[in-house]
Amino acid sequence: MRLSKTILCFVLFFCWFQLNAHNPEDFVISEIERGQLTFENETIAAEYGAALKRQRIRRLAAMPWLKKIYIFIKAGFEHIIPQGLDHILFVLGLFFSSLKFRPLIIQVTAFTLAHSITLALAAAGLVQIQSYIVEPIIALSIVWVAVENTVFKKTTKWRPLVVFSFGLLHGLGFAALLTQYGLPKDNFISLLMAFNVGVELGQLTVLLIAFLAVRIVLKSTTNKNILKVPASVLIGAAGLYWFAESLLL
Amino acid sequence: MKKVLLICALFLIASCQQKSTLDPNINPFFQEWTTSFEVPPFLDIRDEHYMPAFEKGMAENLEEIDVIVNNTNEPTFANTIEALERTGALLTKVQRVFSNLASSNTNPQLQELQRELSPMLSAHYDKITLNQDLFNRIDQVWKSKEDAGLTKEQEKLLNDTRKLFVRSGALMNEAQKQKISELNSKISELSTAFGQNLLAETNGFEMILDKEDLEGLSEGVILAASEAATKKMEEVDSDEEKNKYENKYVFTPHRSSMYPFLTESTRRDLREILYKSYVMRGDNNNEFDNKKIAAQIAKLRAERANIMGYKTHAHFILEENMLKTPEEVYDLLLQLWRPALKRAKVEVADMQAVADAEGQDFKVAAWDWWHYSEKVRKAKYDLDEAAIKPYLSLDNVIQGVFTTTNKLWGLNFREIFDIDLYHPDARVWEVTDKDGSHLAIFIGDYFTRSNKRGGAWMSSFKGQSNLDGRERPIVVNVCNFPAPVGDSPSLLSFDNVVTLFHEFGHAMHGTLTDVTYGSMAGTSGPRDFIELPSQLLEHWASEPEVLKSFATHYETGEPIPDQLIEKLLKASKFNQGFINTEYLAAALLDMDWHTISAKESIKDANSFEQKSLSKIGLIEEIAARYRTTYFAHIFSGGYSSGYYSYVHAAVLDSDGFEAFKEAGDVFDPELSSKLRKHIYEKGSTEEAMDLYVNFRGRKPIIAPLLKVRGLDGSSD
Repeated sequence: MRLSKTILCFVLFFCWFQLNAHNPEDFVISEIERGQLTFENETIAAEYGAALKRQRIRRLAAMPWLKKIYIFIKAGFEHIIPQGLDHILFVLGLFFSSLKFRPLIIQVTAFTLAHSITLALAAAGLVQIQSYIVEPIIALSIVWVAVENTVFKKTTKWRPLVVFSFGLLHGLGFAALLTQYGLPKDNFISLLMAFNVGVELGQLTVLLIAFLAVRIVLKSTTNKNILKVPASVLIGAAGLYWFAESLLL
Repeated sequence: MKKVLLICALFLIASCQQKSTLDPNINPFFQEWTTSFEVPPFLDIRDEHYMPAFEKGMAENLEEIDVIVNNTNEPTFANTIEALERTGALLTKVQRVFSNLASSNTNPQLQELQRELSPMLSAHYDKITLNQDLFNRIDQVWKSKEDAGLTKEQEKLLNDTRKLFVRSGALMNEAQKQKISELNSKISELSTAFGQNLLAETNGFEMILDKEDLEGLSEGVILAASEAATKKMEEVDSDEEKNKYENKYVFTPHRSSMYPFLTESTRRDLREILYKSYVMRGDNNNEFDNKKIAAQIAKLRAERANIMGYKTHAHFILEENMLKTPEEVYDLLLQLWRPALKRAKVEVADMQAVADAEGQDFKVAAWDWWHYSEKVRKAKYDLDEAAIKPYLSLDNVIQGVFTTTNKLWGLNFREIFDIDLYHPDARVWEVTDKDGSHLAIFIGDYFTRSNKRGGAWMSSFKGQSNLDGRERPIVVNVCNFPAPVGDSPSLLSFDNVVTLFHEFGHAMHGTLTDVTYGSMAGTSGPRDFIELPSQLLEHWASEPEVLKSFATHYETGEPIPDQLIEKLLKASKFNQGFINTEYLAAALLDMDWHTISAKESIKDANSFEQKSLSKIGLIEEIAARYRTTYFAHIFSGGYSSGYYSYVHAAVLDSDGFEAFKEAGDVFDPELSSKLRKHIYEKGSTEEAMDLYVNFRGRKPIIAPLLKVRGLDGSSD
């Protein structure tokens, strides 16, 4: 069967010749010397994915500067809302730990600073950690914040430092996605910043919505901690679930 | 992973706003394509659309032919020949997309379709070329052509069309037709058997080695051989067979396996075994022997030529070519033969000197050639491919070929990003002329992938014609260059660069073409001519002035150093004695087989071959590139008495480029415009030799080719 297939390829090649021009020697030879093509779906899909990334980079490179910036801000934002549920929950975890303004600002700033650093390092190719390591730890970071919120009465003074180190991890998570995107070399820094700005905008939006929602709920009660424990339990449960999932997959 | 997919999808939507305007419930081949530049709507075309489109296309085509045949008006050029040009639009539309994708982005369904379609299409075209009523009309037009006031192009089209029918047997009586059809089916059976045998022989031999047999082999070669053994192990079932391959290394007569071994291995005994397995394919007196089959094919072809009214098969084939007779072909080949053989003998002496210096006590033999020529190469021509590659990033080379055609003809290229093609690695440009008018769409699909056929080629998705308004073409180049790893760019070897320029030359032939009738457009010319536009452009790639302009380091932007260019150009003359001698021997063997008379009865193909090769004095250190029993080009493919065409085109391109050298400017404006006007624009609207002479001012000569290949004594 395989023999006759090859022979038919010959026949077709010579019919086809009428429509084409090429270096024909390689063609005839390749059928006999290299044999039939074999199709391995995994390889084809991987090749396709790599090609898609190259195409995105080419298309991006050809876009006007403002459009590129817009696209990367949008991508950063979308990575928080709606796609970054894990990051949303982490930020909410921070939010519920302290409904006071000052500690919240310190923690969120530490988080932002940290993930900006690793995002930049990883995007520049200076740091590389496989996602199967990063993802479970990100899930655990969510659990930890939730546990801390629930178990400890008062957050430790080390908290900003801990949040900072988790931020470093989350930055690696963002970077993994950004690499999938492809970051054109020509505008590396500005587009990286645009992506970061998008992420911050997403984070701020989450905090803003949470803040408004909490204000509405708290109007009817005087116990400010009424939300902290149930919300943190839910957040912690989700984090645990992701942790298990990321280990299994 | 889901997140990644989602974000990719969103991103895709953001970056390409192109939306299909086609009705998803109707086969896209049955709708008008409103895409930009009528690029096929690849995203809408699915595998199941092809067959119905082919069926309808063929049916429509036959109906259109009927309309022409049943026309009650007197046959005229317009109502017959021109009308024929307009037939088969749907069939062409689907065939172009299909034949392209079945090669460049194929899958098991398309391959299966290809097998189904092959006999259907050949039967379909037979119905047209064997239609006696249709021929009678064409013949009537032809007979009265003197009074018809036809243009030169129209007359050529009329002659070509009539000739196509005549060559299919239109002028023969029933008995002759019957005989021809018998001969055709016998020949095709034998050709199939020839190919099957060859495949069985090529796959049937393997050299299984132990670790201690690997002396001299590099890591990559050893790894490939060990992988080959693992693969064989997976293919066999019994434990006994599996043991045979366990921890072993397998080499086969496939060139990709054999050449590295012959080059690197220091085990002369093993080199001999592997080499002989290659040159003895089809000549082992077993069930797969091709000697009798080859002789029979040659004889039947001669018989067929006689019935058709030709002296030999070569006469029948060459009538259509640029060189018209066997005498002209022999003349060309033999002129080249002497200098090639002379150079080859020098190369043998060089290798013998290396062997002697090593203290070896043997005369260099055919199976030593690769090993010792590599040593000579290292000593005399050493060129570090790795040092050159950083200067040859794909993007730079593409820019280089664009700039070259800009300087020659004022062409401009604008990449288009919002057209979706059949694969994200395929890129598309609009080509505009010096006055800004649209010339063509150019698609470049450069990277290798597992669902693409090997090699490199040019084709088109849309043809050019001026019959019913100005129709401009969509041409495509497909190559198999290494895809980039990670974020670094794709870096080419210089061979890749030459291939890119070569295919781009074909693409220019398809782009600049400007003829009235589509069937004569672009690359429709004879086989020994159509490689001229492609091979000619290769010369610019290795012109130092041009090379320096595009070969800049991908990281530093430094242009390629002069010293590297010098080495590169010198290396192109390496081993040319061997390359030309083995090629010319095969080309002459092809001619000998196809100039036999039908009465001649060849009992022994081997002695025929030996006679043929000793007549020209082939040295025993070199075998013909293809011996009779594995000369698939001519016995299984369509190259009978056509294998010479490669070197013929090379004579033309070297001589053609020499004109620019003589002018002292590789972008000489007057020559460039002549080249465009007479070679790249004309398609097959005039005799190929006339086109060449119009460009060059005289017939081609071989001296420039000898110089380019270092066969003029300069390398000795």
